[in-house]
Amino acid sequence: MKRYPCSGCSLLCDDIIVKSDGLFIDKIIGACLKGKERFDQVSAQNRITSPLIRKNNELINVSWEEALAKTVEIIKNSSAPLLYGFSNVTCEAQRAGMDLAREINGFIDSNASICQGKILNKAKSQGINLTTITEIINKGDLIILWGANPAETIPRLLNKVLFSRGKFRMTGREIKTLVIIDPVKTASFRVMGVRDLALIIEPDKDIELIQMLKEECCSADSIPSGGVAGIDKSDLKRLLLHLTGAENGVIILGQGVLQPHADYDLIEELLDLLQLINDRQVKGRISLLLLGGHFNMAGFDHVALSSYGVSGKLQFENKKLVKSEDTIVSKINKENFDCSIIVGTDPISHLPHSLSSKLARKPLILIDNHSSATSRIADVILPTSITGIESSGLVYRIDQVPVELKKILNPPNNIPSDEELLNQLIKKFNGGAK
Amino acid sequence: MEIYKWLPKTNCKECGKPTCMAFSLDLLQGKVKVDDCPPILKPKYKKQYEKLKEMLGSEEGQQKELRINVDEDLCDGCGICVTVCPVNARYCPPSLSGKAPEYPPEKHQLFQVIGGKCELLNLEHCRRLDSEGRERECHVCETYCPREAIKIEYV
Amino acid sequence: MDFLLNTIRKIDNDQVKEYSFGNDQSLEENLAISFISPKDFDKLNLVPSLHLKISSKQRNIVVKFEKDDNIPEGTITMPVSIWSNQLTQILEDELVYKNIVVSVEATREPILKFEDVIQKIRGIE
Ligand code: SF4
Ligand code: SF4
Ligand code: SF4
Ligand code: SF4
Repeated sequence: MKRYPCSGCSLLCDDIIVKSDGLFIDKIIGACLKGKERFDQVSAQNRITSPLIRKNNELINVSWEEALAKTVEIIKNSSAPLLYGFSNVTCEAQRAGMDLAREINGFIDSNASICQGKILNKAKSQGINLTTITEIINKGDLIILWGANPAETIPRLLNKVLFSRGKFRMTGREIKTLVIIDPVKTASFRVMGVRDLALIIEPDKDIELIQMLKEECCSADSIPSGGVAGIDKSDLKRLLLHLTGAENGVIILGQGVLQPHADYDLIEELLDLLQLINDRQVKGRISLLLLGGHFNMAGFDHVALSSYGVSGKLQFENKKLVKSEDTIVSKINKENFDCSIIVGTDPISHLPHSLSSKLARKPLILIDNHSSATSRIADVILPTSITGIESSGLVYRIDQVPVELKKILNPPNNIPSDEELLNQLIKKFNGGAK
Repeated sequence: MEIYKWLPKTNCKECGKPTCMAFSLDLLQGKVKVDDCPPILKPKYKKQYEKLKEMLGSEEGQQKELRINVDEDLCDGCGICVTVCPVNARYCPPSLSGKAPEYPPEKHQLFQVIGGKCELLNLEHCRRLDSEGRERECHVCETYCPREAIKIEYV
Repeated sequence: MDFLLNTIRKIDNDQVKEYSFGNDQSLEENLAISFISPKDFDKLNLVPSLHLKISSKQRNIVVKFEKDDNIPEGTITMPVSIWSNQLTQILEDELVYKNIVVSVEATREPILKFEDVIQKIRGIE
């Protein structure tokens, strides 16, 4: 039986058995509920299969010619277009997005820059120990969830990293220690066993824990007897033993730890701590795994680096890449744009009001396959096929491993893939020149 | 497990079972009665004896059948039960690395995630029925389900 | 009362799922919701028929609530959604989704409708 990768989340499980007659999907075996919902999106109620334009505050169906003409008109009237999203599309589409940004002298960035991109950026100066899912499956013996709750976000992650036995041994869960650091007793706590360590930390006190661990690494016995941040001294000692004694430990970081703070930089402190621990490690090492939601969260940086030589956001002027201090947040916040092209994401829902309201004030072109809060505001909606089901392409998994998504069905109404659509747009601006 | 707590836990083997745990499992399934454990009849265990009698009530001694219920509403198809079940691990090699087992399923296989929900395929080969000794006490699927969707019962 | 607001992802209250398979009604039901500890429930003198008005410095939303034993006292949790994002903040070019100081009070006002949130975002009050 042929197996397909799932594009339901950034874990990209590549073991999904799909029974299909080429027109419909009949049965999906192996995917979690989230993955199954992804496959169901093919026929979801909110699927958009023909282009839409807003006229008199109402979205109406129009032809492709009309929709593309309107798109070109909006872009031509703009001197600072903003391209954003790109974490739910293939690397090929990301590349096309960057080329389009160059043609129209725009600024382009992906969702990753407000998520795991932050830590990768910081890590560039400090160094970072990353690991892969396969490595954890086969060799991992310590799994630390820090501000992460994969049981609710990436359903099959714990199954893979904690319960699988791997290639070299017959025991799985028994020899892996799980440590969870979280202010809330999340669903992930339910897979804990007797040897595991549950650390309920006081909200927003991660910094105290990190600083204490750093001190303890340098001089033993500096743990205050009353504990730190609501965690007992004995538990802290156990945590330190695990950290320095594990052969192949991984810290899985969630959004909880990536939050900005006014007076200190949690990520920098954490990277420092990791370095200290790995210096003291005798048997092995501790590495990081960064969680992200969208299936190609990790790809944008790789594509930007290989195509334009920089990672993350790109700003073009006169069809050339220029240096820019701006980030997607500052661009929107300072209203330093005059139209936006949103690809495969829903910023009106997921950005704070102060940003979403500014996006809503300027013309907005949405390239996506379903309606959302953003489509309620968009001026033009260009539908595309669902990547990983109706079109194929390369994407990067959370652990920076490339995976090839495959096509299973034909898209309805022959709608183009993100890549094809973006390339069509590029042609409208450069007249087909390379 | 509740039942085991109230037994003498001395593993004296007088009941003919290797351990108190084994005895408690049989008690649960109605294969033996509380009175089949000689030590518990002694005055020193009187309170525990009464407690056990109360717990089992009028159903004591009635043959019961193992049921493993998977609550479809709660399950999110994480596949932990598929990976962690020792029977699956033995007969379905992909599950060793957390992958979905082959389809159609192997005949011993107990769980499979289909359409985003876990399905119990057959119970025959569950270790609680089809093994010896301590292995009969297996309950890892129930213990580790993060959604608390699995319940092992005797009805 | 002042609380720390945390926005989290929950598989049962997932916005992608709600947009794909629900409607405005189900969006409201599953996303315009907050979770608080039973102790805070008592402190706020809540009864099930009331709603919560959660206010940041800039704006407020009205959502329903549920008791959850796992939520620490003094904090309030919401699923990531267009509702919770009316309260999330920006700090030096970064987005703050956790530990936001908000004030919370019981109210009889109806739950903020999805369409109304959209109107607010478009600047039409
Ligand atoms: S964990 Fe993610 S990639 Fe794996 S089956 Fe579920 S949704 Fe798909
Ligand atoms: S006779 Fe009673 S105490 Fe002895 S092993 Fe059996 S159950 Fe345990
Ligand atoms: S009790 Fe053990 S053998 Fe039986 S189904 Fe559960 S995990 Fe498998
Ligand atoms: S472990 Fe629980 S939630 Fe996960 S697949 Fe099995 S029954 Fe479903």
